[in-house]
Amino acid sequence: MKFSFNWIRQLTENLHVSPQDLGRLITTKTAECEGVDAYGEHLAHVCVARVLAVEPIGSGRNKKVLVETGRYGLKTVVCGAPNCRPGMVSAYVPPGTRLDGREIGVAVIDGVASEGMLASGAELGINRDASGILELDGEPGAPLPGCEPDHVLEIDNKAITHRPDLWGHHGLAREVAAITGAALREPVRLDLLPEGAAPVRVEIEDLELCPRYSALALENVTVGPSPLWLQYRLQAVGLNPINNVVDVTNYVMAELAQPMHAFDWDLLRGPAICVRPARDGERLLALNEQEYRLDQRDLVIADARGPIALAGVIGGLDTGIHEGTRRIVLESACFQASSIRKTSSRHKLRTDASMRFEKAQDPVNTVRGLARALELLRQVCPGIRVAGGVADAGRPLPVPPSILLPVEWLCRKLGRAVEPAEVTRILKRLGFGVEEAEPGALRVTVPSWRATRDVSIKDDLVEEVGRMIGYDAIAPQAPAVVVAPPPPSPERLFHRAVRRTMVELGFTEVYNYSFVGEEQARRFGMDPADHVRVANPIGTDRTLLRRSLLPEIFENILENSKHYEHFRIFEIGREIHKQPAGLPREIPHMMAAIYSRQGVEDGLMELKRAAEHLMEGCELCPGFSRSYEHPARAGSVVWRGTVVGRLFELHPSLLEGRAAVLDLDLQVMLALQEDGKRYRPIRRFPASAFDLSVIADRRELAANLSRQLADLAAPELEAITYLRQYSGPPLPEGKKSVSFRLTVAAPDRTLSSEEVGAIRARIIEGMRARGYDFRL
Amino acid sequence: MLEATLEDLQARALERIRGARSMEELEAARVEALGRKGALGHISKELGKLPPEERARVGRLLNAVKQCLEESFEARRKEFEEEALRRRLEAEWLDLTLPAPEPKRGHFHPVTQVQAEIEDLFTSLGFTVLDGPEVETEYHNFDALNIPPDHPARDVQDTFWLTDGNLLRTHTSPVQIRGMERFKPPLRMIAPGRVFRNEEVDASHEHTFYQVEGMMVDREVSVAHLIYFMKLMVNAIFRREVAVRLRPGYFPFVEPGFELDMQCLLCEGAGCPACKHSGWVEMIGCGLVHPNVLRMSGIDPEEWMGFAFGLGLTRLVMMRFGIDDIRYLQSGDLRFLHQF
Repeated sequence: MKFSFNWIRQLTENLHVSPQDLGRLITTKTAECEGVDAYGEHLAHVCVARVLAVEPIGSGRNKKVLVETGRYGLKTVVCGAPNCRPGMVSAYVPPGTRLDGREIGVAVIDGVASEGMLASGAELGINRDASGILELDGEPGAPLPGCEPDHVLEIDNKAITHRPDLWGHHGLAREVAAITGAALREPVRLDLLPEGAAPVRVEIEDLELCPRYSALALENVTVGPSPLWLQYRLQAVGLNPINNVVDVTNYVMAELAQPMHAFDWDLLRGPAICVRPARDGERLLALNEQEYRLDQRDLVIADARGPIALAGVIGGLDTGIHEGTRRIVLESACFQASSIRKTSSRHKLRTDASMRFEKAQDPVNTVRGLARALELLRQVCPGIRVAGGVADAGRPLPVPPSILLPVEWLCRKLGRAVEPAEVTRILKRLGFGVEEAEPGALRVTVPSWRATRDVSIKDDLVEEVGRMIGYDAIAPQAPAVVVAPPPPSPERLFHRAVRRTMVELGFTEVYNYSFVGEEQARRFGMDPADHVRVANPIGTDRTLLRRSLLPEIFENILENSKHYEHFRIFEIGREIHKQPAGLPREIPHMMAAIYSRQGVEDGLMELKRAAEHLMEGCELCPGFSRSYEHPARAGSVVWRGTVVGRLFELHPSLLEGRAAVLDLDLQVMLALQEDGKRYRPIRRFPASAFDLSVIADRRELAANLSRQLADLAAPELEAITYLRQYSGPPLPEGKKSVSFRLTVAAPDRTLSSEEVGAIRARIIEGMRARGYDFRL
Repeated sequence: MLEATLEDLQARALERIRGARSMEELEAARVEALGRKGALGHISKELGKLPPEERARVGRLLNAVKQCLEESFEARRKEFEEEALRRRLEAEWLDLTLPAPEPKRGHFHPVTQVQAEIEDLFTSLGFTVLDGPEVETEYHNFDALNIPPDHPARDVQDTFWLTDGNLLRTHTSPVQIRGMERFKPPLRMIAPGRVFRNEEVDASHEHTFYQVEGMMVDREVSVAHLIYFMKLMVNAIFRREVAVRLRPGYFPFVEPGFELDMQCLLCEGAGCPACKHSGWVEMIGCGLVHPNVLRMSGIDPEEWMGFAFGLGLTRLVMMRFGIDDIRYLQSGDLRFLHQF
């Protein structure tokens, strides 16, 4: 939202602060001011000038023009404007002036030295008319009437969504007055409003949707351009000057935050203006020349024929002001914020009016807007006169809420002492009514422009007082609270430990998006229908929420393989699983990958090592493989009897090189953590060890052999360790020999060599009975 | 007679000791001279046959020869050992400038690093670390935070809606609600996490980024307390005294609400492109918990007060490490991640 510094100065008295300082003050006390920019700086040098002589030069449109500039004397300029003619009065820009960031110099055009230029309204930033040079009245040398250099303050719209009053200059001027101690001027003279019966009738069907609708009819209207000062004002705050009637409605909106609309009275049909929900299928051709198809959720202003405006959003083209308009009806109304917001977003049509109405405007303001518009129209539209009194329909105005404010409580909230007199002074400057209700408590009455949504409870007043005394006036203070360790967060600590282990093992942590596309899901064997789906995705590759970290990890592998021969990555992220009802399940997973372009690094075993670092004693159980897994290099990770994840190599058809992947369910892992460790006494009698080499089929699992040996060695078995495996001569084709070291012991004595020999013999015999042979 | 043999034996043995070219040759010479069945042993057996006076004299000579040879052997053996050690040391020269075997240590994601610092800081101050779902209900993300349907504040946060009617949380603030539902006051918590906004991605905008939510509910919680924790946090994160300012900011779930700006670290407040020439950088939205929010979570606002804050963790990470393009953070690009 743009604010003119000159406008604010005009609405205050004794404002002695620079635009930049004001911007800073507004930021720290009211709402963020994102910038303060000089506007129309060049107008200090521009003056009125009379064209004395015009002489064609060259073959184009350019003419050599002699102008009397008063201030700067007689000047010769080159001008290409079609309306440039002897005797006219226009605007002269002397050399050395900066226009739009460009310095005007003495330029030789078609052989003629142009000492400055004559300028259009668009070039001067007064309006958007670039069709010719400005047409003015007045004496050469005079400044352009009402067009002084200004500054524009840009206030962040997001910072004032709760402040309907700050969508107009008067509201901001009130803040400025409260901040600086300047006095606030009242721009509205309600006494100007005519008495008597209104010539138009207003009917409101639903007072919830339209709490108030005020209208004023005027006649003997002459539509034409506004005076320069009005055009310049609007242009400075980003509003487009159109004609005197429309400009006045926009001016009032920018000043009082009261959106207004002007209808051509002669184009309205029937005796009444009706505010009602649209009928399904009704259409409105709007001022922006777009046609809108309406339904009963939209509120419209209608005459006997149908909709003439989409309430609070935009007027209709057919009943708008045009050059020949002689009689007008001014609308100044108040609409329900949420209804306007819905209509505006449904039709994707945000206008200056709808932006204000959706902030919940003050119903008191409607007639104020009419009074101010009447005053201005009398200035810019000579001969205009009212046709009867004000039509004012609506429900009774709400009673201003009052809030009991205990001053001691306020001080506790702020953490700083504030005198009741100071509180009273601050609130009064902001327009609140304040009186002492009881000792130590104030009765605060909320002004109508703050009461629509913004201020309703005493906490809201803490903000008013706090921001005005200034938050930098509050000293930081440590709270006095009970000292106690916070409740633990076991999941966080566990995830941290996993991260640390993975980083120590050489893995680098990546973060990936929670989104995947359908194609990505399908590639990894997942049905898009099983995913939670985004209704308004950012792109077709981001339509689903991930059920697996794999698709994105796979992308990471492909991308990084362009730059690295081999690497290790991991991610801790959530899988999101659709549920029949309620929120989806979010399951934290850790996925790690090792890539090697040459396929040399033994990624699978390195990942198995990582799994063992995370879960001492975990096991790999091959058995089946999925479509994207290497069929001979895949297995489930089992820990303490529970499947916790998968370890596999990606199917060689998916990429060049080798990529091994470990996927662990951190939720299951956390549940399997043991906390109760107990000490076992260290054995007092020495143990004995011997090695055994079992001959088995080449695909026999080592874990299977180990388990059988262990079964047979029980109960004396202390430990069994894999040593090595061998295949080749003299072993027959398809066989391998797997060696283990077994350690055996008894709890109460040293086993004799005979006893150890007997155990060994028992194992060998047992294995032979199961069909295994030994290399002895 | 024996004396001559002994002297001869000594001379020959010394010759062999000197001439030995290896430990093995030396050992063979030793066994031949000094071994149990060696020459000296043989002579000592002869000793008994001599008359007593001669026996003593020859015996002394025998011992002298034995001692002489033993010393010589020992000296020569040492020479061999020293030579062997010297050779081994020579052979074992290692180029210590060679790189250690792979893998090198990996790298934590920069967001993880800063997040951990914040978690540790607040844990040390008695705050618990909570977590909430990334897929949220409309109630927790908006309604319970005093943002009713059709409130303009909903526009500010472009929401990813899901076809099941839920949404991707637009801020970590719903964890405030979940925290209050789970724990009774007094309560101190933070909740770091991933949030989502439906925004076009460019160098400074992401649809996925990180925040840290914080909340304290107790009998007496004031703006002064809030400022205390915010300053503590900013100074700890940047490991120096950083100037901050509090200004009004609008968030429907706090009242009063603030924006906390910190002085731009790049220009020290003089104004630069990074801070849009204001000298200040917006870092934290915060305020006192709105009584409606407390009430909706079953806490009596007449008895309890609270503050809440939301920190832009991603922005903080970018400032801390001087990252100029937000997209790197979720790119998985190791050329970026290996730097942290």
